[in-house]
Amino acid sequence: MSSVAENAPNSAGAKTTGQDLLTGLIPLLLQLRKLAWLIFAVTTLLFFVLRQAGDPALVLAGNDATPEQLAAIRAQFGLDRPLIIQYFSYMWNVLQFDFGKSLASAEPALGKVLDMVPRTLHLAGMAILLTATIAIPLGSWLGFKPENPERRAVSGFLFVMQGVPGFVTALVLIQVFAVNLRWLPSLGYEWFEPKTWVLPTCSLASFLFPSLTRVVAANVAEAMREDYIRTARANGASQSALLWKHAVPNALLGAAALIGTQFAALLGGSAIIETIFSWPGMGWLLLESVQTLDFPVVQALAFMIAIMVFTVNACTDLVFRFLDPRLRTKGA
Amino acid sequence: MPENSKQPSDALAIAKTAGVSLNPLDPTSRFNASKLKQFTNTEIVIAFILFVTLVILAVFGTFLQTHDPMQGDLLKRFAKVGEKGYLLGSDHLGRDLWSRAVAGLQWSMACALTANVINLLIGTSLGLMAAEKEGWARTIIRQFTDTLQSFPFLVVAIVVVVIVGHGFVPLVLTLGLGAWVVFMRVVYAEATSIYQRDYVKAARIAGVSRSAIMFGHVLPGVRASLFVIFAFHFAGLLIAESALSFLGIGAPLGVPTWGNMLAESRQYLLKAPWMLMVPAGAIVLAVITMNLVGDGIASLSRKRGRSIDV
Repeated sequence: MSSVAENAPNSAGAKTTGQDLLTGLIPLLLQLRKLAWLIFAVTTLLFFVLRQAGDPALVLAGNDATPEQLAAIRAQFGLDRPLIIQYFSYMWNVLQFDFGKSLASAEPALGKVLDMVPRTLHLAGMAILLTATIAIPLGSWLGFKPENPERRAVSGFLFVMQGVPGFVTALVLIQVFAVNLRWLPSLGYEWFEPKTWVLPTCSLASFLFPSLTRVVAANVAEAMREDYIRTARANGASQSALLWKHAVPNALLGAAALIGTQFAALLGGSAIIETIFSWPGMGWLLLESVQTLDFPVVQALAFMIAIMVFTVNACTDLVFRFLDPRLRTKGA
Repeated sequence: MPENSKQPSDALAIAKTAGVSLNPLDPTSRFNASKLKQFTNTEIVIAFILFVTLVILAVFGTFLQTHDPMQGDLLKRFAKVGEKGYLLGSDHLGRDLWSRAVAGLQWSMACALTANVINLLIGTSLGLMAAEKEGWARTIIRQFTDTLQSFPFLVVAIVVVVIVGHGFVPLVLTLGLGAWVVFMRVVYAEATSIYQRDYVKAARIAGVSRSAIMFGHVLPGVRASLFVIFAFHFAGLLIAESALSFLGIGAPLGVPTWGNMLAESRQYLLKAPWMLMVPAGAIVLAVITMNLVGDGIASLSRKRGRSIDV
């Protein structure tokens, strides 16, 4: 959390004055307060909901445990105390980043989650990269000139793709490329085997790129009608200069917001794709641990996701301020 | 402009990319004056036909099924499309995929519709309450919405559904009680600006009661956007429902739903690819239909001069 507060404004501060830096910091602090609220709410809610779901002692001991064993486990983990006392001692531990040990493997829960973070970031990063690589040129092309048959066909295709859920694409891709053609593995994750990355990345990107393309296209089309484009055209700027130097940079502003949103949504939202491809990331771990009632891991995951989504949103905000001078001068 | 840092929900994002601005406070709304995709009459007709077909299938589906969706004939397993009297083929237990797809449609529609209505009611009431005037109610509602919004809904849904259990009611309640943020945001944004209008001020001075202003003057102004969001959100809920069922935590196992059918098809990808294609096609068709309907409503209300861009 603190790394965001310290590092991020510096990167923006390279080209801004100290005054800007200060006004940039205030909304960030306000957001940090929001994060604290979020974590408090999520942790509290999960604590009580998960306790309703099942008895942790029963999960630990297994179904064939004798009452004596159960009592021993309860005493050992403090589960025999009143719920409210357990809650406060739990929250105290959470403040020290101690979520307890995984009921399944006895490893520290937070460590288990942290192992998954790079893999989820890896997948989400690749998906966003692919999305942007497709969407920005395609959207610029779509929005640059008025509609014609080709552009109509492409925007129709985008509309259809927007209606295809990512997990449906994933299953169809598996059917075609893994089962029929046997080009790519249908599941598994190897750090040094890019073949295993292809299908999950494409599945995620297939659901993300239509909306980004349409936003870029709409923004470019809007920019093309602005006065500064007319001026540039009157000054004899070439078509490509008009597009790439004047229209696209402005269009990317709106796109940046959506890219940030999409990235944040992927951090927890890629659970289905991760499960389909047995990609051992946070979403996969979430489903595993929820279904085995591994409470500490679920709690640590929710905590981690909240922080990561917050960080992504805060960074998007900063990038926005950095890119758009109008937001800087207006202050917060 | 903190609006940028918040996550718009799926329906809102889709609505926006369709060129509909639903939030006058949103800085990106200035881009939406351009409608990349101008809706033509033919497209509205297509949307209407598809929608009516879906409704007929959902309402009269039970009479249109050729087989019992639950009852299989093991001698007629893996029938290809059109073979052995099966319109869309049969699955690994010899059950008719057409009948199962129709049953899945009924389940998904019922689920998404109920959840959507709950979302609409909660979101609209909270949005109106927050928009009416400044004060503790607005602060609490906005804070609550922000908190809910900044956490990926799918994560919440997975945890809650697993814990509460399988079945229609838990699924509908999870989606219904958790996914209303989009309605609240749209209603709040539009209603706040309507409350600033002269005719509302005039009504207030004339002594019209608070509830009469809220329901007689403000709500009608929000109605057009509500229809659009309702359609797009419906599509989003269809996806969410089938995703949860696909993961095996939504609909009870064995119930014919698209998600369950997709999950079953995974074992037979080589042998019976149509087991995948039928439910996949059904989901895509339903989602696209609802997106088309949303676009259509948006463009119709534009034509009638009721611009959704406030």
